[in-house]
Amino acid sequence: MVDGLNETMDDAQRQEALLAHVVAAGYVRREPPILQPASVFLDQSGEDIRGRLYLTSDAGGRDFCLRPEFTIPVFRDYLASPSAGEVAAFSYLGPVFRFRADGPGEFVQAGLESFGRADREAADAEILTLALEAAEAAAARNFDVRIGDAGLFLRLLDALALPEAWARRIRRGHAQGHDLETMLAPPGNGGGFDHAGVLAALENVNRKEARALVEDLLAIAGITSVGGRSPAEIAERFLEQASMRGGAAVGEEQRDALRRFLEISGDPDAASIALRSLASEAGLDLDAALDAFDARLNFLAARGLDLTRLSFSTRFGRHLDYYTGFVFEAVDPLQGEQPVLGGGRYDRLSRALGAAEDIPAVGAAIWCERLFSSRVGRSGDRA
Amino acid sequence: MTNVPANGAPLILAVPSKGRLQENANAFFARAGLVVVQGRGVRDYRGALGGVGGVEIAFISASEITQQLAVGAVHMGVTGEDLVRETVPGADDKMAFLTPLGFGHANVVVAVPQAWIDVKTMVDLEDVAAAYRARRGERMRVATKYVNLTRRFFAERGVMDYRIVESLGATEGAPAAGQAELIVDITTTGATLRANGLKQLDDGVILRSEANLVASMAANWSDQQRGSARALLSRIAAEEEARTTREVRAIMAGDRTEIAQEAGALFEARALFGAAGEGPLTLVCPRSNAAALADWLLQRGAEHVAVGALDYVFSARNALYDKLARRWEQA
Repeated sequence: MVDGLNETMDDAQRQEALLAHVVAAGYVRREPPILQPASVFLDQSGEDIRGRLYLTSDAGGRDFCLRPEFTIPVFRDYLASPSAGEVAAFSYLGPVFRFRADGPGEFVQAGLESFGRADREAADAEILTLALEAAEAAAARNFDVRIGDAGLFLRLLDALALPEAWARRIRRGHAQGHDLETMLAPPGNGGGFDHAGVLAALENVNRKEARALVEDLLAIAGITSVGGRSPAEIAERFLEQASMRGGAAVGEEQRDALRRFLEISGDPDAASIALRSLASEAGLDLDAALDAFDARLNFLAARGLDLTRLSFSTRFGRHLDYYTGFVFEAVDPLQGEQPVLGGGRYDRLSRALGAAEDIPAVGAAIWCERLFSSRVGRSGDRA
Repeated sequence: MTNVPANGAPLILAVPSKGRLQENANAFFARAGLVVVQGRGVRDYRGALGGVGGVEIAFISASEITQQLAVGAVHMGVTGEDLVRETVPGADDKMAFLTPLGFGHANVVVAVPQAWIDVKTMVDLEDVAAAYRARRGERMRVATKYVNLTRRFFAERGVMDYRIVESLGATEGAPAAGQAELIVDITTTGATLRANGLKQLDDGVILRSEANLVASMAANWSDQQRGSARALLSRIAAEEEARTTREVRAIMAGDRTEIAQEAGALFEARALFGAAGEGPLTLVCPRSNAAALADWLLQRGAEHVAVGALDYVFSARNALYDKLARRWEQA
């Protein structure tokens, strides 16, 4: 039981009590400004978020938005501070703003972020258990917890040594939730491929010469400015696409390994064993990634989390361009699919925000209103 | 504030206030025998429609027409579908597209530099955009004024890794100027794209747009205004029916009902006033079938066949008005 929570509190007091639990664990509360530069979120989350941002602009025409979440503002403040790169732990609680078709555009999020810790698996375990303890205490009930590992999948793609074009395709297909057959289908491309003559002529020329020739062709055509892509990039992908069509696809053994990998789910300890046997049978070096996976489970158990509550899936690991390792979410079994909390490890965000190097980062966000709506009608149950 | 019309308030029809769109809109109404009468000076923003009573014309810019329709400040208007789809979320609930007008054709398309010989489709673009971001840590930039159309279309096609650069003019020049990698813009023939070293993606048509006659579902419609709408739309429908059909008449021996049925099956002809009775059999058929129908009637024994154009074909059932009436019922 989290200290200070009791039945007579209103929602605001419950939120404060929830946050107090996290603060007591050493997570310093941060309150970044509500008004934020919009470009930061558009750069990181893509145009898709534009439709959900409350946008405005200043007299100089610069775009601002009401903060749609806390992670990026808290991380930016940390990067701008003298302690950037050092170990730091922050928490937050406050309103965030997003257009939603099915609810008010302003709602309260709480959360915690851990930056700079090299003992990644211990930090992962701490974030999940703290967030879960705080949220479950506030809601006075247990949630279903799903975990995944984006790093494991990325490591598998590396170990399979797939052609770059295919690795890219599978990575994005996975992030978009496509099934394996769709990811491995030859790229559907409208009708035919232009420039068949050029390709036929290049068939028996080695890769490097072929690329040089295509670059020359572009130069002869007087093409220098090509909209931000270099002629070398275009030539490279032109030949790569041609070879994908030519059947240099993903081999049967590689397909098989991917298929088996993506079928593994359920109890995390059992999954770890299944993954190790897959790795050894397919001759893939996943040792480091699996050692990290096991170490994380051990840290979670050491923090008192009952591992049988966790449901692992190799397929759970969305937003691969954002999350780089451990990912998790908790759902309220009585409320359906919308998570009450979610988070994971995002070691690459520091570079994307302009830092010179990767800074280990892991965090979790809690949807406070979903916690408390799960209490509605339940107070009588616990008389 | 409510906009309940005062008793006898006219139906307000918004037409573009300048340029080719205005000329074409005027020509469209004129064809239906409806003369757009502008106030005394060219700067007068209100006018009347000669031929139908109870209609006031508002001359406003095309983009303003879209907004006024959305909020219900005007009852009907002439505007491009591209503008509606871009600027009005949930347009199909707020407006009724009554009929395309046959002018203002333009497609909203995705165009990339011609030098991108490896990019032909949206699937290619999705891949290139992701690779671009992976390599540079920045998203590819798309110049456009169609922010919402672009976002929706790209999301449907799974293209995530891009940023929109809003462009309010000369969008096609943005890639050459280094302001964007690709564009989403309106094009009629593609000539402007080619002149700027751009090409349209094979499956990159976001919207095929033309000028439409649009009715506002947000406006208040009094009985009198509904009556004006019926009169206006039946004039338009009658002219359209007349313009696209021909009347074909011949004295026929034999079973006139059977002949009319066969002509219907073969030439989409209709015996507008029935096949029974005395005198010539009168059929109406699509304009392009008129000569073939005449030939066929001669083979069936007609001595002479007269083909004529009609000024108007008014019908009790008016598809345009029915569309609007159905929407009022649903509301």
